[in-house]
Parts: sequence; C-alpha cells; structure tokens
Amino acid sequence: MSPGSGARGRVAIVGHGHSQVWRHAPRALGAVAVDTARAAIEDAGLKPSDIDGFVTAPLFPTAGAHTVEDGVSTVTAQWLADHLGAAARYAAGFQGIGQLPGAVALAVGAIVSGAADHVLLHRALHNPPGRYHGNPMRTAGGAQQWTAPQGYFGPLPMIALPYNEYLQRHGARREAMATVVAEARKNGARIPWSYWYGKPLSPDDYLSAPMISDPVCRYDCDLPVDGVAAFVLTSAERARDLPHRPVHIAGCASAAPPRHRLPLHWPLDDIMAAGTGLVGRLWEAAGVRPGEVDLPQLYDGFSPFVYFWLEALGLCPIGEAHRFVQDGRIDSDLPGGLPVLSGGGALGNGRMHGVPQMLECYLQLSGRAGPRQRARATVGVACQSSPHFGGAVVYTAEPT
Amino acid sequence: MTAPRPRPAEPKPAERHAAEPRPAASGAVPPVEGRPLPVPDAVSAAYWDAAARHVLTTARCARCRAFAVPPDQVCPACGSSDPGFAFEEVSGRGVVRSWTVVRQSNLAGFAADVPFYLVDVELVEQPELRMIGRLLDGAAAGPRLGAPVAVAFEDVAPGVAVPAFRLAGTP
Repeated sequence: MSPGSGARGRVAIVGHGHSQVWRHAPRALGAVAVDTARAAIEDAGLKPSDIDGFVTAPLFPTAGAHTVEDGVSTVTAQWLADHLGAAARYAAGFQGIGQLPGAVALAVGAIVSGAADHVLLHRALHNPPGRYHGNPMRTAGGAQQWTAPQGYFGPLPMIALPYNEYLQRHGARREAMATVVAEARKNGARIPWSYWYGKPLSPDDYLSAPMISDPVCRYDCDLPVDGVAAFVLTSAERARDLPHRPVHIAGCASAAPPRHRLPLHWPLDDIMAAGTGLVGRLWEAAGVRPGEVDLPQLYDGFSPFVYFWLEALGLCPIGEAHRFVQDGRIDSDLPGGLPVLSGGGALGNGRMHGVPQMLECYLQLSGRAGPRQRARATVGVACQSSPHFGGAVVYTAEPT
Repeated sequence: MTAPRPRPAEPKPAERHAAEPRPAASGAVPPVEGRPLPVPDAVSAAYWDAAARHVLTTARCARCRAFAVPPDQVCPACGSSDPGFAFEEVSGRGVVRSWTVVRQSNLAGFAADVPFYLVDVELVEQPELRMIGRLLDGAAAGPRLGAPVAVAFEDVAPGVAVPAFRLAGTP
C-alpha cells in the first residue's frame, strides 16, 4: 500500500448545498449555515437525524481587528451541530491553512474510523463591516514585531512579493494574468449564487484597474463575502444507496510545515519546493497520474496561485504558466481547453476559499454540472491556498 | 534577458517621523497617528536596542551558529530546543530578491507614506537569510533582482528605530 492510500476510494460526497454569496448577508452567518446544511442533507436524500458527524475549518481569514464570534463571523462544527439539532457523535475543526482539503481529510478519517457515518462538511465565510484587513494596531508584539513596524502587513504584500519574484525571474508580464482573471469571472458570471453572477470582467477591465500592492491589482484578489457551502460525505458502501452518483475521495495531501520565515513571508522558491512535495504525495495517495486528471480546479484566491499550482501540479513546465494560460488553453468553453477555473474559482464567486474548486469537482464528476457539464470528467483535483501552505484533494467518479 | 518590470509611480522618500506625540483632539477617541511600534520582549530587546543605535543585528543560535530571522523557540537549522539565540551585529548588506510597492496600507500610521517600496532582502551572512524592509530610495533608483542594498534606519519614535534598506550601487 503506497503512503497516504489507506482510505483511497472509501469515502464519497453524496450531496451539496450552497447559499447565495453576498457582500453582506441579510441574516446572520449561522442562520445561513443552518439553511445551507439542511439543503445539503436533503440533497443527499438524508434527514438531519442521519447526520452524526460535523466537520469544518472555522478560520475567519482576516488580518483586521475584527471580533471572532461563533454563529456571526465564523461557524464552528459544534455550533452547527447544536443549531441543527442533530445527534452528533463527532464534531471537529481543521485549524491549518488549505481549509477545505484539511476538512475533507478530517471527514474521511471520521468515516473510515467509524467515528461518524454521515458527515456534514461546511465552510462559512464572513465579510465584516469596515475594511476587511484594516487594523488600527498601535504596537506590534510577538511575531508581528518583525514585520508590522516597517509596514509589511496582511496578505497583499504577502502575495505581491512572490508574484513579482515570478515575473522578474521568468520574464513574465503582469498583462498575461488578464486571461486568468477573465476566465474565472466568465465562469463565475454563469453561476446563479455567485456574487459576480451576470458580471464578467474583460481583459481590458482587468488591465485598467489600479495597483494596490504592485504587481497586484484589485482584480487579482477575490472579494470578501458572506456565504456558506455544505457537503455530505459518507462511506462508498452507503453512498451506493443514495440518490445521486457519488464522487469518491481518492487521496488528500496537505502542505508540509514551510521553511521558517518571517510572518507572511512566502518566497517563490519556498512555494514551489514545498508545492512539488505536496503534489508528489497527492499522486501517491490517490493512485493517479497527472495525465489522468481532466478537471484540475486551481486555487485562485489571489490570481498568482493559478500559476503556482499549474506548475506545481506539472500541468506546464516551471516558469511557463504565464504563457500556458494564453491562446485559449485554459478556456473551459473550448474543446481542447484545460478547465482549471470552470467552477469560477474564488475570483469568479467571491472569497469562498476552496469551495468553488471542491464543488466543481463534485458537480462535474457526479454529472450534475448542468449547462457546463463536461463530456469527460473522471478525475478532478481541488486545490486550496498556496502550494506550500495549503492542500489538495483528488476526486474520482469511480472508486479507485 | 531584460525582464520587464512594473513601473510604479514614484514613491515618496521616507521621512523621519515626528518624535513627539501630538496632543489628542478634545473628546473621546484619540486620533490615529504614527506607525505601530515594536514591543520588545525578553528575546528581542537586544535587537531593538541595537536598532535604536542604528546597528543591525540578527539572532544566532548558540549551538550551531546559524542565523535565524526571526528567532524561534527551536533553532530552525539544528533543531536545538535550547538555542540560546543571541543577537549579533551583521553587515547589513544584502541583495534584493523581490519587492512590492504598497499603495494602500491596512495599518494605521502609513497613510502619509504610501506609496512606498518594500524589499525582500537576502543578507550576505547566510544563504536564504531573508528579511523585509522598506526601501528608502525614490523610484528613480528602482530595485531589480539581485540589486545590492545596505541597511538604513528610520527613527519612528524616541529611542525606536526600524531597520530599512537603501540601494548600494554596483558592488
């Protein structure tokens, strides 16, 4: 048995729910989470009383000075279990980065171990009033003393440094990213619950946006939103008796602890070295070869992650992603296009973290993607966060 | 190969910040002013003391002699759980590995400073020993990969100086 393959194909997704994505939801996030969870459970052909496991990653991912309040700015697994009135035997939260892959691994473990039979996995994202990352700190102690006094703070400079390193090293131009962002927004504009529904973005719009932290402009960043998604997972055996075609979890990989660095310092070499390691473990765990993947859903919370994942996954050579994405090669509407953002990603939906990637894998591989259903969708990969900090999951239409 | 690079608008030269706190406006909340100031702790006090004298130091493991930015509870190089990190003076010389131009700061106190450069600098003392600081040059001397830099300091409050960099010309 190869490393990481102990649960290969033994757990499947059997249903899903997704709320509207708002800039600010009209009701509390917890209330939206309860509705979304009920919808997912019904979609799976189950009742709330069937759900005995709850899994999430509760991180409220802001650098701002916002209050973390359960049911309001975050929704923990325990909170959701309590408010659904389910008889939970298991409730757990993943505390790392790469929240969706991490939570999937928790759910797989719960089901394979027998800690729970039917697991509800959810992710609730909140956009608080005021500036999302704004922080009025007057003093910087602990880890932040090494970066905040000189103005290095928050995720924008964090991603700008390795992105600029990429541009400089590989002779790339930031104009190349216009096709990536336009592809995400084109697909997101077709998703009814997306914040960007009906609102595609042209390459010219992208290129005319002002810089925020060079070479990162506004449209390189996903938009903070309120929104909830939920999935129901169970064993492959039980999944056979449920209404929808199950989608199997072939393997998971999370990033190894990255090299010791200053807070939020993500050098390009760190990203690619650890990312290559993660991807190697992913293929080994899932028992698939890169060439078998027909639905690589790349993380795009910041657009440069699309380049990093394309290269880490081996979908194009190192330093070539900025050329690879041109000329329709990632256009999911073209027969030969590699559908890396067919679910709209975070840029096309709003800051739903890894939800759009996981959901697209589920919908396509279960044959439920509606008008955008692809003729061939057998092996999907859902990525989240940076290749050196996050994670990825391989999904298969058949149990491998 | 000539790599194209972004052409930022000219950042303002860094200014020395007013040392004296301004009187708070009458009423409830004092206005936000000044940048976040470091809070030295038992480990970092020597670093900030040296910085106040415009001397750059870096934590060094007493067991394996490797530098670490920042110091940690366990030495990232040798794994010692009793690394006895002490701050030793370093040359302050390094090369630019990347940079950005901050045009909107999420921190209070930088509104008057934007846009400003931040540089990711690899210090000459040890491979991959990297720190991040402001670049106190204007856009006319814009950074490029591998550009040599030397440490400089911003005096941000009485007895508080923050390490930064200046382009050092061709070595």
